[in-house]
Amino acid sequence: MSSNIYKNKKPVIFFLLPAFIFLTVFLYYPFVQNIMNSFKEINNLGASAKGWNAPWYTNYVELCKDPNIRTALLNTVKMIMATIIGQLGIAIVLALMVDNVKKGQKFFRTVYFFPIVIAATALGLLFNIVFLYDKGMLNQLREMFGAAKLLDFKDESHAMLTMMVPVTWQYVGFYFIILITGLNNISDELYEAATIDGASRWQRVRYISLPLLHNVICTCGVLAVTGALKVFDLPWIMFPKGMPSNSTWLTGTYMYYHAFESHNVDYSSAISVLIVILGVVTARIVNAVFKEKDY
Amino acid sequence: MKKMLAMILTGTMVFSLTACGSNPAGSTQTSGESGTKKDTTAAEKPAADDKAEESAPSGPVTLNVTTTFAGEDTNAANYQDAIAAWQDETGNKINDASGSSTETFKARVISDFEMGSEPDVLFYFNGVDSNPFVEAGKVVSIDEIRQTYPDYATNMKDGMLGASPADGKNYSVPVNGYWEGLFVNKAVCEAAGVEIPGPDTTWDQFMEICQKVKDAGYTPIAASFAEIPHYWFEFCIYNYLTPATHNVVPGSVDDEHGKAWVDGIADMKVLYENGFLPENTLSATDGETFQLFVDGKAAFLIDGSWKVGGIEGATDDIENFTVTYVPGKNNRKTTDIIGGLSSGWYITRKAWDDPEKQKTCVEFISYMTSDEMVSTFASVSATALKNGTQVDESQLSTLAVDGLNFVKGATGMSSAVQDQVTQEQRVPVFNGMPDIVTGKKDIADAVQELLDLVAAGQQ
Repeated sequence: MSSNIYKNKKPVIFFLLPAFIFLTVFLYYPFVQNIMNSFKEINNLGASAKGWNAPWYTNYVELCKDPNIRTALLNTVKMIMATIIGQLGIAIVLALMVDNVKKGQKFFRTVYFFPIVIAATALGLLFNIVFLYDKGMLNQLREMFGAAKLLDFKDESHAMLTMMVPVTWQYVGFYFIILITGLNNISDELYEAATIDGASRWQRVRYISLPLLHNVICTCGVLAVTGALKVFDLPWIMFPKGMPSNSTWLTGTYMYYHAFESHNVDYSSAISVLIVILGVVTARIVNAVFKEKDY
Repeated sequence: MKKMLAMILTGTMVFSLTACGSNPAGSTQTSGESGTKKDTTAAEKPAADDKAEESAPSGPVTLNVTTTFAGEDTNAANYQDAIAAWQDETGNKINDASGSSTETFKARVISDFEMGSEPDVLFYFNGVDSNPFVEAGKVVSIDEIRQTYPDYATNMKDGMLGASPADGKNYSVPVNGYWEGLFVNKAVCEAAGVEIPGPDTTWDQFMEICQKVKDAGYTPIAASFAEIPHYWFEFCIYNYLTPATHNVVPGSVDDEHGKAWVDGIADMKVLYENGFLPENTLSATDGETFQLFVDGKAAFLIDGSWKVGGIEGATDDIENFTVTYVPGKNNRKTTDIIGGLSSGWYITRKAWDDPEKQKTCVEFISYMTSDEMVSTFASVSATALKNGTQVDESQLSTLAVDGLNFVKGATGMSSAVQDQVTQEQRVPVFNGMPDIVTGKKDIADAVQELLDLVAAGQQ
């Protein structure tokens, strides 16, 4: 009886069908429709297409010419780098340090994880106040230390850095928790043996913790990169409409802008197709770079 | 056992999906931010004769109504009170699907019209946002309604109803409109030793005032050219036109209006170059520059009548603020203002053709646009009422009273020309303003790009 389940495929199809229908209706159909929309002329959200673009690939030609797309792609790459180095790098350092703390591990876990539970919009407003030009927290601190002139943290030369700091800060705790869990899974016996053999604290980290953490770091790397491709809410709150001077566009914010602000729905669809392609390509690269090892 | 459990779980999922998606005939659906229910059956009635007598309903009627009186709208409570009173009075019922006027709400309205599930009565924008359903003939013109109901909206000035940009006809009956003026922080002006601009102040005199304010260590003008250059764009262009000619999108960059746009934007560039704007105007948000004004660090702010409430809520010393005219230049008098009525009540074609609903729709809109009701909704903002609003000034703040006097003293009014240009078409000038004022982009080129997008949109 039990082996008959595996021979008869009908029940399996029956079980898979609802989820398949759900995904088809709410994911694959909109995705295919979105690709078609990118070739049509749609001037309003909710409005039907006026017809096919002439020529039909107009939006893709525009994508190649649009300087804001180049800015968005470049900024997205910067964001990916900031995510890997900032979020993952800091999380690894914090996790290794906290792992070496005898008391208070729970306290640090809570403290570092806390930003995750705050809504991105609230964080955006919070950091807007921190970076505010007139009497923002940082400028007040600078004044206390004798700075004579206010610094505009949101001008063109500082904008991307100002955007990356809160985005990085927000998710450090997420990777920290994953990494510290990975560290806790490493047997204490390995560390004890290494200590007996005369290994220093750094050598234990270098030759035990990091190699055994490799697969966890790989998983975090994939999550961080794909997360960076989707980041939207916090940058949009802090730098709406690519402010200043179209210098802070990300692929996500630029797509949103064209869909909801400028009502250029078909162009927005073309950008979203580009994002999907970018996501697939990046995911393959990341999988190749962060290749998991069998131990 | 496992098989049984899996089947139960699958069955539960299928049931959940079915339940989520079901909407049987005769049931109601919740929609809009107000969270009220919307009847889906009543709209599917056959077309009817357009004679008023024949369209009288046989009993209480349920109207599906969509408005922007919801969420943070200052009239959300007034609207709820009004429809509650109307329902008690008439025995009819309102299925309200109002929502805040966000882009999502606009998309929903347009989508409803596309899908044939539009409401019976709609309070919505009368600018380019209404073009899709006006062009599709899905709303009824006021002229057509008056053929059957001659008294419809006769308490309004026809010239101010807000004609559709699609065909120039009036489709909507407005309630409350807007005006744009120069808000002033009196304390800053006093500290800088300058007079508050008045009805006779010219643009050149205003520039001198700004220079004095700047020399006194204050920011003359609170404006974010990065996010909201809209108000200064409007008035700077207006300075090269008149109330009669302002509201026209240029045909080309070289015609009268095209030149006015280029010259007006050039004046905005001068404001930036003279240092009359906040130092971070190219990176600040509108909220940040508004805060400068409220905090007594900036003297002037151009904004709309809705900002009266915003300033009242942001300060404990409302008497420190007033509103005056934006100083004029050339043929535009200082007292010529920007204002208009950008939204109104529509009757949809589907409801008009329904003999059960036609008369009720007319009665409902007549009730919502009576002199008394419009006065309640409009307060200090502009209206199209022939008799004007009846407002108890003793209940208003000093700034609100200044707003009323501002409108009374206006010698001319033109609606904002930017309302004739879609968001997408505005991009080269509005989003490109930082590049324009810093000289990275030529003004005429930016205007030409905008006009090219307008021309492409008309094809």
